[in-house]
Amino acid sequence: MMLLALLKKDFLIVKKYVLIMVVVAALIPPFMRWRTPEFMGDFGFILSVIFSVFMLLQYVSIKEYQFPKAATYLCAAPFSRKMMVLSKYVFCMVIYVLCCVIYGIETFVLPGLGALDIKLFALMFLAISAFIGIYLPIQYKLGFDKTKYIFAVIIIFSPMYLPVLMRMKNPGLGFHSVLPTYFLYSSIVLIGFAVLAISASLSVKIYTKADLA
Amino acid sequence: MNDILTVNGLNKSYGDFYLRDVTFSLPEGCITGFIGVNGAGKTTTLRAILGLTTKLSGNIQFFGLDFDKNEKQIKDRIGVVLDDGCFYEELSLSEMKSIISSAYTSWSEQDFKRYMDMFSLDPKQKINTLSKGMKMKYALALALSHNAELLIMDEPTSGLDPLIRSQLLKTLIEYMKNGGKGVFFSTHITSDLDKIADTLIMIDNGRIIFQEEKDTLLDTYRIVKGDSQSLTTDVRKLFLSISETDFGFTGLTKQISEVRSCIPDVLIERPTIEDIMLGNIGGEK
Repeated sequence: MMLLALLKKDFLIVKKYVLIMVVVAALIPPFMRWRTPEFMGDFGFILSVIFSVFMLLQYVSIKEYQFPKAATYLCAAPFSRKMMVLSKYVFCMVIYVLCCVIYGIETFVLPGLGALDIKLFALMFLAISAFIGIYLPIQYKLGFDKTKYIFAVIIIFSPMYLPVLMRMKNPGLGFHSVLPTYFLYSSIVLIGFAVLAISASLSVKIYTKADLA
Repeated sequence: MNDILTVNGLNKSYGDFYLRDVTFSLPEGCITGFIGVNGAGKTTTLRAILGLTTKLSGNIQFFGLDFDKNEKQIKDRIGVVLDDGCFYEELSLSEMKSIISSAYTSWSEQDFKRYMDMFSLDPKQKINTLSKGMKMKYALALALSHNAELLIMDEPTSGLDPLIRSQLLKTLIEYMKNGGKGVFFSTHITSDLDKIADTLIMIDNGRIIFQEEKDTLLDTYRIVKGDSQSLTTDVRKLFLSISETDFGFTGLTKQISEVRSCIPDVLIERPTIEDIMLGNIGGEK
């Protein structure tokens, strides 16, 4: 119940952007299919997930940064700090699931996007779990401002390391289609959950010891 | 009379500021004022007892329950008003309420509506369009709508005009009449405490200076005014603080009979809480 209330809070404080994100998440896959037909709709789905999760999480963080005492007030109410942290992870996962649903519907409506691919969802789940698994504990430890700069530096230097990654054997965008078993993908999903669980417990530990604003 | 809050040996460091062995208790059925100048440690103490900031050591009990072990249960039974509202300002009043209300097991929609009507607040209004006084009223409406047994407020009257301060104090008195077990509020506006407080706790430089019933406190101290020439070294020791001008001196003392016997020709007045607060912080001697 409390987790739901906190989840609702996150959506309420960024409500202006949620609809825009839904529209963007729906438009990216067909657009990318048009621009990069060799990747079917996969590339578009990947971009829509990264864009939606990252941008909405950023907007929530900006609002929390803008009104730091609001979180303090919630903690003075019976909301536990653990729930406050967990709600952020659930928030990201809800957006991810929303992206999957939108893309799933699109694959039925727009045949050019290719068939609905559970393997792609599993791989993207791991990727997004890894991203928020790293991002959120850093943000809880260093605060929004410093984390923003760290990730800005990573993005600025991405032209240096991305080509190296691209040159690596099996660059990845289509490799999931040749992997053999569902067992492998179940394992990937489990690893994703493990990453989230470890990251969440670390974030809870950091936030529990923090002096609130 | 039972204590509804007991703080024992609370220590906390905040940069170069320290709370040192803060110990006090709140008796049931009382409005307790927590006084001190800006930076004395009032907000830090309140935050530490609400678990919003980590403490180095100390034991905190609400309603006889250990705070560390029963945090959720205790917070369900107390209402909190923090300084300047502390809301997501872009939300409407009803949106913010919908978040907060789900945290409390005894939330009363009826009480909330009554307070909203009483304070003339529109649920559809955005929080960032409210004045400081209206925000404080809204915070009070939220804090009083879940059958809280204890109300904790951090500087609730700071920066408010006299009319709103008066309404707020009236609401606190009504809350106590309607079954509230206690109010604990920090302030540096001591005139508010003159009107409603039963007990006073003073903090300065991170240390508790006194905890006393207001009437006893006002009976204990006296303001003395007289000629500065009568202030010998021994007489000065009888005062907590003395300020001198070309026309004479004004001092605060707890030893009125000794002062009277040393300098009979003095004017003696009953002090205000502010006089006592300032006298205890220290003045010229």
